[in-house]
Amino acid sequence: MSPELKTYTYYPGCSLHSTGLEYGLSTRAVFSHLGLELTELPDWNCCGASSAHALNHKLAYALPARNIALAQKFGRDLVTPCAACFNRMKTTDYALRTNQAQRAEIESIVEFKYTGEIDIRPVLGVLYEDYQPDRIASQVRRPLRGLKVVTYYGCLLVRPPQVTQFDDPDDPKIMAELLQAIGSQVMNWSHATDCCGAGLSLSKSTIVQALVSRLISRAREAGADALVTACPLCQVNLEMRQTERPNMPSFYITELLGLAFGLPQARTWWNKHLVDPRPLLHFLGLAE
Amino acid sequence: MTPAGKGSGNGKGPIGAALVVGAGIAGMQAALDLAEAGIKVYLLDRAPAIGGSMAQLDKTFPTNDCAMCIMSPKLVEVGRHLNIELLTCAEVESLSGEPGNFIVSVRQHPRYVDLSKCTGCGDCAAVCPISLPDEFNGELSQKKAISKRYPQAIPNAYAIEKRGIAPCRNACPIHQRAQGYVALVAEGRFADAYRTILEDNPFPSICGRVCNHRCEEACSRSQVDDPVNIMAIKRFVADWAWEHPEDVRDAFEQGQYDSANDHGSLPLTGKRVGVVGSGPAGLTCAQDLTRRGCSVTVFEALPVPGGMMRVGVPAYRLPPGVVQREINAIIDQGIELKLNHRVEDLEALRQEYDAIFVAIGAHTGVKLPIPGNDLPQVLQATDFLRRMSLSNSRSEVPGNQSQDNRLIDQDPETILRDCRVLVLGGGNVAIDAAMTAVRLGASWVGMTCLEGRHQMPAHDWEIRDAEEEGIELFPGRTFKEITSEKGSVTGVRTVKVDFRGFIEGHPDFDELLDTEEVILADIVIFAIGQRPESSWLNQVNLGGNGRILVDPDTLATDVPGIFAGGDAVTGTAFIVDAIAAGRRAARSIAAYLNGEASPMPEKVASSKKVAELNSQEVSQRVLDGSTSAAPRTEIARLPAEERKAGFVEMFRGLSAEQACAEAARCLHCGVCSECNQCVYACQAKAILHDDTERLLSIGVGAVILTPGLEIMPGNVRPEFGYGRFPNVVTSLQFERMLSASGPFAGVVQRPSDGGHPASIAWIQCVGSRDNSLGQSSTKRGSYCSSVCCMYATKEAIIAKEHDALIKATIFYIDIRSFGKGFEPYIARAKSEHGIRYIRCMVSSVKEVPGTHNLRIAYVSYQGEDGKRPVVHEEEFDLVVLSVGLRPSHETHALAERLGLKFNDFGFVEVLRYDPTETSRPGVFVAGAFAEPKDIPESVIEASCAAAQVSALLGDARGLLTRTPEYPPERDVVDDPVRLGVFICHCGINIGSVVDVPAVVDYARTLTGVVYAERNLYTCSQDTQERIVRLIQEHRLNRVVVASCTPRTHEPLFQDTLKQAGLNPHLFEMANIREQDSWVHRSAPQTATEKAKQLVAMAVAKACKLRPLRRNLFEVDQRALVIGGGLSGMTAALSIARQGFEVFLVERQAELGGNLRHVFIESGRGEKPQELLDEMISAVVSEPRIKLFRRSEVISLSGYAGQFRTIMRQADGSQLDLQHGTIVVATGARGITPTEYLYGEHARVLTQVDLEGCLVQSDFMEGLIGRTVVMIQCVGSRDVSHPYCSRICCTQALKNALFIRRQVPDSRVVILYRDLRSYGFREEFYRQAREASVIFLEYDETAKPTVNPGDQDNLQVEVLVQPEERAVTLSADWLVLSAGIEPQPDNEALAQLLKVPLNEDGFFLEAHVKLRPVDFAAQGIYLAGLCHSPRCIEESITQAQSAAIRAVALLSKQQLQATPIVASVNPKLCAACGICVDVCPYGARVLEPGMTHAEVIEVLCQGCGACVAACPNKASQQKGFEFQQVFSMLEAAYP
Repeated sequence: MSPELKTYTYYPGCSLHSTGLEYGLSTRAVFSHLGLELTELPDWNCCGASSAHALNHKLAYALPARNIALAQKFGRDLVTPCAACFNRMKTTDYALRTNQAQRAEIESIVEFKYTGEIDIRPVLGVLYEDYQPDRIASQVRRPLRGLKVVTYYGCLLVRPPQVTQFDDPDDPKIMAELLQAIGSQVMNWSHATDCCGAGLSLSKSTIVQALVSRLISRAREAGADALVTACPLCQVNLEMRQTERPNMPSFYITELLGLAFGLPQARTWWNKHLVDPRPLLHFLGLAE
Repeated sequence: MTPAGKGSGNGKGPIGAALVVGAGIAGMQAALDLAEAGIKVYLLDRAPAIGGSMAQLDKTFPTNDCAMCIMSPKLVEVGRHLNIELLTCAEVESLSGEPGNFIVSVRQHPRYVDLSKCTGCGDCAAVCPISLPDEFNGELSQKKAISKRYPQAIPNAYAIEKRGIAPCRNACPIHQRAQGYVALVAEGRFADAYRTILEDNPFPSICGRVCNHRCEEACSRSQVDDPVNIMAIKRFVADWAWEHPEDVRDAFEQGQYDSANDHGSLPLTGKRVGVVGSGPAGLTCAQDLTRRGCSVTVFEALPVPGGMMRVGVPAYRLPPGVVQREINAIIDQGIELKLNHRVEDLEALRQEYDAIFVAIGAHTGVKLPIPGNDLPQVLQATDFLRRMSLSNSRSEVPGNQSQDNRLIDQDPETILRDCRVLVLGGGNVAIDAAMTAVRLGASWVGMTCLEGRHQMPAHDWEIRDAEEEGIELFPGRTFKEITSEKGSVTGVRTVKVDFRGFIEGHPDFDELLDTEEVILADIVIFAIGQRPESSWLNQVNLGGNGRILVDPDTLATDVPGIFAGGDAVTGTAFIVDAIAAGRRAARSIAAYLNGEASPMPEKVASSKKVAELNSQEVSQRVLDGSTSAAPRTEIARLPAEERKAGFVEMFRGLSAEQACAEAARCLHCGVCSECNQCVYACQAKAILHDDTERLLSIGVGAVILTPGLEIMPGNVRPEFGYGRFPNVVTSLQFERMLSASGPFAGVVQRPSDGGHPASIAWIQCVGSRDNSLGQSSTKRGSYCSSVCCMYATKEAIIAKEHDALIKATIFYIDIRSFGKGFEPYIARAKSEHGIRYIRCMVSSVKEVPGTHNLRIAYVSYQGEDGKRPVVHEEEFDLVVLSVGLRPSHETHALAERLGLKFNDFGFVEVLRYDPTETSRPGVFVAGAFAEPKDIPESVIEASCAAAQVSALLGDARGLLTRTPEYPPERDVVDDPVRLGVFICHCGINIGSVVDVPAVVDYARTLTGVVYAERNLYTCSQDTQERIVRLIQEHRLNRVVVASCTPRTHEPLFQDTLKQAGLNPHLFEMANIREQDSWVHRSAPQTATEKAKQLVAMAVAKACKLRPLRRNLFEVDQRALVIGGGLSGMTAALSIARQGFEVFLVERQAELGGNLRHVFIESGRGEKPQELLDEMISAVVSEPRIKLFRRSEVISLSGYAGQFRTIMRQADGSQLDLQHGTIVVATGARGITPTEYLYGEHARVLTQVDLEGCLVQSDFMEGLIGRTVVMIQCVGSRDVSHPYCSRICCTQALKNALFIRRQVPDSRVVILYRDLRSYGFREEFYRQAREASVIFLEYDETAKPTVNPGDQDNLQVEVLVQPEERAVTLSADWLVLSAGIEPQPDNEALAQLLKVPLNEDGFFLEAHVKLRPVDFAAQGIYLAGLCHSPRCIEESITQAQSAAIRAVALLSKQQLQATPIVASVNPKLCAACGICVDVCPYGARVLEPGMTHAEVIEVLCQGCGACVAACPNKASQQKGFEFQQVFSMLEAAYP
C-alpha cells in the first residue's frame, strides 16, 4: 500500500549551511524521517540571489542554470528550501522553458542542453504534494497543541505566480494545512505574502524595522505566538528586525515538523534562533 | 405552437419581423420601437424573466430614480404588447439566410411551469424545500428551486431550476425521489416527505429497513465523507407517518394532485386484472392498476400476503406488523386479495381476467448435488425462514414444501436448540438463516461459502453483525460432502479454494491442495440460491432455473395478456427491484388494455441528465457551509447479546432531530428534486415537471443583439480579498444591499455580522483599465467600463441616505463623470453628502482578525509639508469593489455562433460610423455588448438598431403585426347601474388571510351590485372568458375586481371589458393583496373587514363611472428635422430611408455643422471628412428629403401628428410646412476660450484650430523638435460651464498621438484634471503614454498660468498634482481643449417648441435614463449636441434613435389620445392661468381674449397637476372626477 517514496536532489544554497543552518538541518532530518531521500547536489554554486540579478542579467541566469545543468544529470527534482534560491532557479527555469532565444543564450554560456525534465521544488511543495498532510499527520508523535501561529511566506515563494507556480499568491494555504496536520493552530491573518523587507535588511534597516514591526504586531493581533516561514531570509529578518517586546519567535516549517515527529535532534536547532523559542515551547510543554 | 414567421406573403420581400436577443433595457426598447413601427418582434432571453441587469439596480444616477420604478412600466408594456412575442429561457442556436430573410433556430429550455396557467402567486415557492443562492441578489440571500427572478418579473410566472436527476434517484430502480424527501425532512416536514416517498414507493417502512439502498452508493457526499443515510431517513419518515396518521391525512388533503393520473393516458375503468402473488411486485402492480380504474384481484398461495417481505426476511430485521400495515394500506385502495389461493390453471384465469400479472417470486431453495444433501438435518434457508415467519400465524401452511423437510415440520422454535448449525452460502439469505439460528438457541452457528471474505455478496455490515453475534465464518471453501453418522449429519467436508468469481453463472475457482477440513455440524442449511416454482406455467416460455422469459421492456410473456415480473423473472433480487417490476408491469398492462402499441415511457427516462457533482464541488459545498459538515449518523443496533435473545427488531430508528440533522447533509445535487410539493400546492395546475426543451425555427428579417453584460468577478483582483473576506462585496451586491427588495430589505448591513457599517470604502477600476488581466488575450479588462465612477458615487450617496452617519470614501484613478448631468452629481456628492474621494489605486485589502473589518493602506500627499507621499492605513467596516463590465461567456459564444467579429477587448465589433452594425449584414447590436455603457446610451443604441432594422424591413412594415379587434361598444350611459364584482383568492395569497366568501357576500349587499363571485385566480385566462360571458348574461355595465395591483392587471381586465363590448373605463379595481392580505397576515379578521371596505369604495366609485372616449387624431406622415449637422442629416436620412418624407432645415449655407472642422481620424481608420462628404451627397440625392438651407423656423403650432411650422427661407420668404413630428438637432458650438492668452498670442490654439493645422504639411514640419502643451478642461468643469464636455480628452489624445506618430522628434505634454478616456478610448490613453506623451495633473483650484516666452514660445507654469510640484514648461504651441456650449438661441427655440432646457442651456429630454431622445411633449425628439456634448458615433446613434421614435409615430395613421385627460368647466374657470403654468406638457391654452382655459387633449398626459392647482375646481380629471373620489371617501367613512 505504501506509495513509493521519492528521491530528490538537494540544493542547500549558501544560507542553509550558514545563517539558516537550522533550516538545512531540520529539512534533512524531516525528510530522512519521512523516508524522502535528499542527495546534495555535488559541486553546486551560488544562485546569485543576493546581487547577481540586480547587476548582471546574464549572470543572474547563468548561475542558477549551471546548477540546473548539474541537477539534470540526476534526473530527480531539485529541492530548493531557500525561497530566494527557489525564486532564482524558477525564474531561470521559466526563461529556459518559455523563451527560445534566452534558452539558446544560456545554454551556450553554461554549455549544456536544457531538457526540462526536472522540476525545481520548494520544501513545502514536496511535503504537501508528494507526502501529503494526512500522512504527515500520521507521523505526529507530539502534536503541537496550543501552538498558535501564522504562516508567513514572504514574497519569493509565490511570486510571480506564473513563474513560481506554487500555492495561491494572495491566499496561500499549503503551509497552514501542514501545520494543522501536526496539531498547531493556524491563525487567520492577511499578511502571509507581505514583504518583510529582507532585501533591504542591511542597507535600509529603518524601513525594514517598520515593515517587520508591522508584521509582528499584526501576527500578535491575529492571536499568534509565533510566525512560521519557509525562507531563511524572512526567518532571520523577522527575528532580527523586530523592535517590540516581548519578541516573537519565527520558526521554520521543518523545525515544527521535526518537533511534532518527536525527532531528538530538534533541541539542537533552537539555539540558532535570534529570538529564543524555547520559553514558548516550554510554556506549551512542547520542549524538554 | 411554433411561432414561425410567415414572411411577407409573397415570399420575395423582406419578412416583417425581427428577433431581439436579450430582454434587458436595451432589448425592451428595441422591441417596443420596432413593434410600434409595425415590425413584429420576437424578444428572446436566456432568463425566465425580462428586465436584464437593470432590474438588479437600486437607484439610477444622476437622478436617483428607483431603477425598478422607472423600468416597471416598460416591463408591463413589453409583456402586454400584442406584437411582441416573448421567448424566455431561450437561446439562439444558429442563423441562416440573408438580411430580410433569416431563419433563426432557437432552443427554448424547459421552464417546468406552464406560462399560460401560472399566475405568479408564489404558493409553490412557499412549499419548495430546496434553497439555493439567489444570484439575482448577488448570492447574499437564498431562493427556492422554483422561483420568480424578482417580484415585478415579466412574465409574471415562476420557473424551476433543475440540474438533472440526483444521482440517488438515478441509482434507484424505482427512481425514488430521495433528494426530495430528504430535503423535506431537513425542514421537519415529515408528512410531506412521506407523501413524496409514497409517490414512488408503496413500501416505505419496508424499504426503510431492508433495501440495499443503491441511492447511498451513488450519493455525491461519499466523495468527501460518507453518503447521506437515506435509508434511515426513509425509515424514520415512514415510522413517523404511522404514528401521526392525522398529520399525514392533513398533508395529503392540502393538494389535489393525483399521481395515478400521471401514469398514463386513458383510465381503465371496467377492466379486470388478475395478479398472481402478493409480493412487492404483485402488490405494486395491483395498486397502480387500481388507481387507474382497474378491478384487480390478487391471488396468494400462502395464508399471509407479502411474499418474501413476509416469509423471507426474518422478523428481527423486518417485523411482520410493519409489512402488514403497508400491505393493508394498498389493499384498502380497493384490491381483492385471495389468500390461501394457489393458482394452478393459468388458462382458466386468463378467461376470467383481461390481463394477468405473474409475480410468484422465487421461493424454492436450491441444494448442491453433493453426497448427504438429502439427509433429514439438511434444510433449505427459504423453507426454514418461511416456516419461522409463519409459525406465529394461525393458518396452516399449504403445499409448496420441499419433499425432504421432515425436520422442519417440527416446531421451528425448538428444533435448533443446542445444535451446531452450519449455513452454506454467503449472501443476505445465508446471513438471515444463520442469525435466525442463533436466535433459536443453536449452540454454535457457522457460515461457509465459496467467496472469500471480501467477495461475499452479503453487505459488509451484515457480516460484521453476524460475527458480533458469534457466528463463525469459513469463507473461500467448496463443499464436498455432508458427512453423517447413522443417518445424522455430522458436518460438512470442505476444501479451501481460490475463488475468482462467476463466469456466466458458473463459479471459477481452484481448489487448494491439502486444505480439506470437515466443519462439524448437526444441522446444515443451504442458502445458495432460489428458483421460482414455475412448473405449472406450461403456457409461457421458461428459461433456466425455472425463470419466466419476458420482454425486458414490457415484461410481456410470449402469451398475449400475460405479464410476469419480480424474482420469478430475474431470480432473487431486492424488494426495490420487485417494486420497479410491478410498476413497469402496470404501465405495460395499461398500454395493453388500451390497445396501445407500447407503454408510456418511464418518467425518468435514461436520457435525462444525471446531476453529478465532482469532489471539488462537494468539498466546496461542505466547506462554504451551504450544506452541513456533520458526519453521517448511523442508526443504532441493539447490542449483540440483546439481539440474540429473540426476534425483537435489531435496528432502532433515528430520532426526529437525528433525521433532520442527517437530512441537512444532503447536497441537493439535482437542485429541484421533483418532490412534487409545488404540484400539490399549485391550484392553477401549472407545474410541468416533464416539460422538455423545444427547438423553434423562426423567420425574421433582421436580428438585434442586446445580450447585455456581466460584471467582472469580484476576485478578478484577488488581493482585495473578495470571496475570502465576508465584508468585501461587489458593487452589484451592494446595489442589492441597498434595494428594498434586496437580501437585507434595504438595510445596509455587513454580510459578516449584520452590523451597520459606519465606514464604507469603494475601490474603483476593479477589472477595468487593467492591462494585467487575462494573460491569453492581453487587452481584456484594459478598457474603461464607463459607468463605475458614477455608480460608485450613486451608491455612496444612497448609502448615506440610508444612514447619514456612514462615512463614504471612494478610491479612484480618474473620476469619469462625462455624461449629461454627471459633473454636478459628483460635485454634490462631495459638497452636500461629504463623500471623500481619494485619488489612489489601492494595492491590497487586509482583514482585521476578529472584527472582519478591512484595512486599506493608501498614499496621499497631504503629509506635514504637503508634498511628500504619506502612507495611511485606514480601517473600514465594508469595502465595495467597483467591478467593471464584460460580455459574458454565453453572449460571446452566441456571437461566435452567429459568425460575428470581435474586437481586441472581446466585445462585438461594430462599424464606428454605423455603431450598431456588426460584421454580419442584417445583424445589429445595441447596448453594452459593443462597449460598456450606461442605461441611456444603451437605450439610444437600441433605438438606433431598431431604426436600422426598420429601414431594412420598411417594405414589410405592418405585414405581420396585428391590431386587436373588439365587438362594438354597448351604450350603457342611460342604463341603471348593474355591477359585477369579482373577488380573487389569488391562490392562497389572499384567500388564506381574507375570508373571501364573506367579502363576496358583503359585496352582494352593496348598492348597484347585481352579481358577485369569487375566483381562485381572477386573472387566469379561463376567468377572463368567464367574465365576458357573465357580463353578457347579466347585462353587467360596471365591473369591479378585488385582487392584486392595477399596475400590472388593470389593462388586462379593461381588455376583458372591451371584449365583452363594454367601455374599458367602466372598470374599477380594489387591491386587497398588497394593501391588505400581504400586510395584515397576522390579523385575518380585520383584514377581511378592510377588504370589505376596499371593495365598498371601489363599488361606490364604479357606480359613478362613465365611459371615456379616446380621441383620435390624424397623423401627417412627414417629419421636420431642425439642424443640418451630422445629427440632423443622420436623422433625416434615417427617417427617409424608413419610408417617410422629411423637411430638413439648416440655418447656414452649408450642411455639416461641427463635423466640418474635424479632420483627424481617431486611429481606427475612419475619415471624418469622407463621412461628411458621403452624408451630404446622400442627403442631397435622397428624394424623400426636402432640404432648406439658410432657412430658419420662426413659428410653430399644433401638436403631435399635426404640427404646422412657418419657416423663413434664404430669400426672406416664408413657407408653411405641415408635418407630424419634429426632430431637434440644432447642435452646439465650441467654446471660445477667454483665458491662457487665447486670441492674444498667435501660438495659442484650440483643439479645433489645431486639427485644421495638423493637415497642413508645413505646420507639421514646423513641429520638429518642438513642444506642444495641451491644457484640458478649458471652459469645462468650471464656474461658467459646470459640466464636462465629454469629448475633449479623447480629442487631445487623438491629436497628441497624431503629432507623436507623425513627428517623432516632438514633445507633447497634456495638462489635465481627470483623464476621461471612457470605454475603449482608454486604449488611446495607453497608446499616448507609450508614445511618450507626458501627462501632468493640475487641480482646478490651481490652474496653469501662461505667459509669453522670450521668443514666440510660451511659458506654462503648472503646480503638478499630487505632489504640488511647480513645473515650468516652455511650449512652442499651446493647445486649449476648449469645451462645448449650447447654442445661444436654444432658449428661443425651446419657447417655440414649448420644451424645456436644462440648467446648462441644453435641451432637456423627457427622462434622462429611459427616454433620452424624447421630449415630454409628444411628437418632438432630439439628437446630437443640442442634447449634450458627445462624439461623432454617439451623435449618429442618437440621431437614428430619434428617427425611429419619430417613425413609430409617423407609421400610425391615427393617434389615440390618452382617455384620462383633464377637462375644464368653463362656468367655473376664472381664467387665472395657473393651470397653464403648471402643465408640464404644454397641453393648456389660455390666449388673450379667451374666457376660460382649454385642454389640448392630444397633449394632455393626465398627470392631474392642473386639477390639483386649480383654485376653483374648474379643472377635473376624467376617471378621477370629484364625485367619483368623494363617493369612495363616503364609502370608506359612511
